Amino acid sequence: MSAPLTIVVGSGGVGKTTLAAAIAADEARRGNDTLVMTFDPSLRLKDALGVDVDPESNEIRVPMDAPGELWASLLDARRTFDTLVDRYAPDDTARQRILTNRFYDHLSGSLAGVLEYMASERLFEVASFGKYQRVILDTPPTRQALDFLGAPERIVSFLESGALRIALKPWFDANGNFKAMARLGVLGRNVEAFFDRMVGMELLRDMAEFFQAFTPLYDGFVERALEVQKMLRSDATSFTLVSGPGEQRVADTLFFARKLSEAGYRLGPIVVNRVHPKVDAAPEVVNLADGRGLLAWLGRRDHQGVAQLRDLLGDSHPLVVVPLRPDEPTNLESLAELGALLREQLKG
Amino acid sequence: MDVLRRLEGLELIVVTGKGGVGKSVVTASLGRLLAARGRKVLLFEVDPRENLHQLLDTQPSGGEIINASPRLYLQHIEPRELIDDLVREKLKVNLLVNRVLASPVHRHFTEGAPGLKESAVFGRALRMVEGHGPSILRRPDVVILDAPATGHGVSWLAAPQLVADVVRSGPIGHMAEVISAFLGDRSRFGVVVVTTAEEMPVEESLELIAALDGRFGREPEAVIANALYPAIDAAEAEDDPATALWRDRRAINVTQLERLATAWTGPLAEVPLMAIDPGPALVGAIARRIEAQLRSS
Ligand SMILES: Nc1ncnc2c1ncn2[C@@H]1O[C@H](COP(=O)(O)OP(=O)(O)OP(=O)(O)O)[C@@H](O)[C@H]1O
Ligand SMILES: [Mg+2]
Repeated sequence: MSAPLTIVVGSGGVGKTTLAAAIAADEARRGNDTLVMTFDPSLRLKDALGVDVDPESNEIRVPMDAPGELWASLLDARRTFDTLVDRYAPDDTARQRILTNRFYDHLSGSLAGVLEYMASERLFEVASFGKYQRVILDTPPTRQALDFLGAPERIVSFLESGALRIALKPWFDANGNFKAMARLGVLGRNVEAFFDRMVGMELLRDMAEFFQAFTPLYDGFVERALEVQKMLRSDATSFTLVSGPGEQRVADTLFFARKLSEAGYRLGPIVVNRVHPKVDAAPEVVNLADGRGLLAWLGRRDHQGVAQLRDLLGDSHPLVVVPLRPDEPTNLESLAELGALLREQLKG
Repeated sequence: MDVLRRLEGLELIVVTGKGGVGKSVVTASLGRLLAARGRKVLLFEVDPRENLHQLLDTQPSGGEIINASPRLYLQHIEPRELIDDLVREKLKVNLLVNRVLASPVHRHFTEGAPGLKESAVFGRALRMVEGHGPSILRRPDVVILDAPATGHGVSWLAAPQLVADVVRSGPIGHMAEVISAFLGDRSRFGVVVVTTAEEMPVEESLELIAALDGRFGREPEAVIANALYPAIDAAEAEDDPATALWRDRRAINVTQLERLATAWTGPLAEVPLMAIDPGPALVGAIARRIEAQLRSS
């Protein structure tokens, strides 16, 4: 039985987006109304899902001849931020104030955790809405893919640390002068003087204003973030960990698996993707032009990696091996087949 | 001008590309290559899953500068620590340092301020090549940065200008101006783009090349097309599954190399997928290959 919510994680470039789409297409074909939320799909995958057609709307019905409905949405930092402003700005003046803040352009692309937070908030909405029987979430190419999961918690601790309170505090008096950190005495004034010397008060003022503009966003935020965290750790959620082939990836994969389990998430299958087939030939390469020797070598390398991983994992997690294909699956039919292959292996 | 000569003259090279395409291996290989040509090279690694030391078969850096082989050094960098170092350096009074480091304003600022961490890494590179390094390596000739795959490659390069734009005064603003000017100087700084000849990586490389041109009015020093399947003879008759797969994957490589060629006519090195485990042997083989390819391109 698959969980209603599947989160696909792993390092950059291993094929998360494709596998998320594959799982979703398979679920729809099995009669489940399914939503796949993707980051950064290839052009052809975008085409296949049709998510490029209308960048304005959130979820798009993918035309697919299947008993279940397939929906897709594209998560994008800038658009996410714009939506956020639209949703939370109390009025037009406030909206304008945010949009013209000189930070907006910079921060909307890079503010730590906002995109991840929005994804989980959307997840929460989607889950409580009950429109879909399955939700498959792709995760963004972060420096450490686990950053993604920590985002709501980080934001909560950021809010609770007082940093925000400091940012939101009326720092500046009516004349635009910085209110001295009086209660810190001389030390406070020194710290303040230091910041002024280092970056200038003007900048801190702008940052404070930017965060203030988002105050309504923080209302009820902690509660929702905690709900999302609970949901991510519940039985309704299962993680699928995608790994590249080869022995070199084993350490990476185990690291991820351990981190996920330690953090209390329910790790389901581990998928080793793009595994070269075993070949009946000597894995010796006579020269660089020897493709068959190379494939034999790669086949042996990848299967050694799989065997090693299987050994180390024991029975703790099912291991699924996805062979390297002649081409990436980029139409709904081949995606659904790939998804079915995953499911079949999990049964067996 | 000969691209190898150009690379040799640079003080900072950023190696960038999509996740998993071979940035770290190319960083190590470029380092090996330039060191063999007489340059004193320092490799910067930002990825917390340190792996450059394995590729060069030496001990992990743990933040220190490690001498891997003659004229070749590596260091793992934690951007946050660079910023904290800056605070220590500027403040000097211990009590005050602790105050500032513990202050939510500082944490908030260093986490939230766009571009600050990236700028700090460039700032450290600049200081090194200007001769302010520790005694183990006072002054490398060139720093090569194994840039993390962020999904948007130019964000690293745009960072100092961003900081300079928002922080208009004080030492940080000044530092950002200086770094920005450094990155703008084509005789000192260059970008090497690594890609595989597959759809997504090429897509991203094309976007990156366009963004470099559009935003900085410059182009990469070289593009490395990595992990290519070998050419296959059209007359290759055998049709076992391995040969079929080889033919199909090679066909993708060919199509994608053509696509790359429509947008990039500058120096290109084609590096084959090699039957060698990661380590000094692989690094050496790729270094020789890059050298030969760039010499003839
Ligand atoms: N030309 C090649 N021949 C054989 N193996 C290669 C080649 N290039 C890279 N590899 C192997 O491919 C794997 C990925 O390479 P590498 O770690 O350099 O990629 P990366 O771009 O740094 O990845 P990440 O984005 O995860 O940091 C490594 O195991 C490396 O040894
Ligand atoms: Mg790397």
